[in-house]
Amino acid sequence: MELSTLLPFLANVIVGGLVLGFVYAIIALGYTMVYGVLQLINFAHSEVFVTGAVVGFEVFRVLAPVSMNGYLKLLIALLAAMTISGLLNVIIERLAYRPLRGAPKLVPLITAIGVSLILQDVLRVIEGFQGRFDLTYTLPTGFAAPFCGPESSCVGFGKFLTGIGVSLQLKDVILIVVSLLSLAVLNYIVNRTRMGKAIRAVAQDRVTAGLMGIDGNRMISATFLIGGALGGISGVLFGMKFGTVNAYSGFIPGVTAFTAAVLGGIGSIPGAVLGGLLLGVLEKLIGVSNVFGELLGIKNLAVIDDSYSKLGAFIALVLILIFKPTGLLGKSNVEKV
Amino acid sequence: MPKPMLELDNVHTYYDHIHALKGISLTVNEGEIVALIGGNGAGKTTTLRTISGMMKPRTGSMTFEGQTIAGIPAHHIMQKGISHVPEGRRIFKDMSVRENLDVGAYTVTDRTLIESRIQEGFGFFPRLKEREHQLGGTMSGGEQQMLAIARALMVAPRLLLLDEPSMGLSPLFVEAIFDIIVKLNKERGTTVLLVEQNANMALQIAHRAYVLQTGEIKLSGNAADIAQDESVRKAYLGDE
Repeated sequence: MELSTLLPFLANVIVGGLVLGFVYAIIALGYTMVYGVLQLINFAHSEVFVTGAVVGFEVFRVLAPVSMNGYLKLLIALLAAMTISGLLNVIIERLAYRPLRGAPKLVPLITAIGVSLILQDVLRVIEGFQGRFDLTYTLPTGFAAPFCGPESSCVGFGKFLTGIGVSLQLKDVILIVVSLLSLAVLNYIVNRTRMGKAIRAVAQDRVTAGLMGIDGNRMISATFLIGGALGGISGVLFGMKFGTVNAYSGFIPGVTAFTAAVLGGIGSIPGAVLGGLLLGVLEKLIGVSNVFGELLGIKNLAVIDDSYSKLGAFIALVLILIFKPTGLLGKSNVEKV
Repeated sequence: MPKPMLELDNVHTYYDHIHALKGISLTVNEGEIVALIGGNGAGKTTTLRTISGMMKPRTGSMTFEGQTIAGIPAHHIMQKGISHVPEGRRIFKDMSVRENLDVGAYTVTDRTLIESRIQEGFGFFPRLKEREHQLGGTMSGGEQQMLAIARALMVAPRLLLLDEPSMGLSPLFVEAIFDIIVKLNKERGTTVLLVEQNANMALQIAHRAYVLQTGEIKLSGNAADIAQDESVRKAYLGDE
């Protein structure tokens, strides 16, 4: 491959990886925030995320015949998914995890896997009753169109993208914008508001937070609500990006996002974002191994095609756990006395 | 006539199967500084934890200003006007000094009141003002103790529970912190229940004292009398 085509090719791979990475990042936040307050890996988060994707599908399906601004439809889909996924997550905590608060850590962990399996089948049954298994998004017109047409007509961000030879669809750009907005709002809530500070206090030391008048259980519920709402957002973005979801679609992105959270340092919010973006790019890079094989003269690399791309996250998980279990931005668990 | 503020009557507290408090009865009157002294494992810390709701008493009654507080969650007891500076300070290490104070003021909703109390705290401990944006965990033990006290004062408590404020501090810091305790008591009328390993210091500033031993109260009375008691002098004040 010529340098003149290689650079735009790589730019496409990396930008595509970042788009995917934002989805992982937003899902990963749900894992990492819950871990932060309860030291629990909420395996049901993948289904909370798929629930968001299903809600998004339903909103777009119902609104498809309605003539309405596409962005307004998206906004309704996002708000509905946030509400339902957020409340679902709160209910899961109340019913499944809270009664086990004093139990050894393995017990709620196994419960979380159980909740995950139950929800998969509940979702399948709900959609199955209507004769649906694979849910194909009906996106508003224009969402799948290229972000900007001929290079001459592009301005701003679009001009920059076409300048480096990257072509995105409008929905990819929407995905990036929604993700960035979500991150900004989350950052504001966690660092600036009274509730955010209380959540952080509970995450650091629930007993002492109680001495400050903070009701730990309320803050844990608030964390599940926020984490679930982020799961809902990521579900809609995922559905939009890939077009089709079903009740079992949560597993792979869920595990990838969980890996992202561990990679970044579980419990760390910036870590989850960093981990998500890195894994998104890694996945895309693995998907084009054949090109690197060709460049380096290693023919065997061509065997590694797109179907291996999900492997990256798992290899990364193993490597992190061996070499840096605290993750890139995580703190060591050693307590100073 | 002293007005009882906090009253414990025959309080029993357990750590799982360990019987830590074996029928503690004590009274703290409004405006007093009361010291709880005793050796390791005597139950001093457990007494404070039971009062603030960090631990639940199994039996016995506890009242604060006439209202029962036994068995109520810590975040409710605190709102009645009791602040607890726990053993080991337990500041929020990953938060800045100011954020720690903000969290301390969680139950205060008036922004201007919070700000004026933060400034008051900086007045008591100018060191904290210098470190306003530093992470709590990166400060020295003495500074963390100051922060823990300042944080507890954000709600202007009527009763302050202090657990080992002198622990691990240099003599200079110890003096500064004891000065502040006296000042709070004299100028604001804050009632103080003080647990101290440093019995000498504690008895100097306290009005009354209780001596604990293996979960029971061995002796109580005026701090000056306790300081003169032969057995106390031998056991806790370093007299041979």
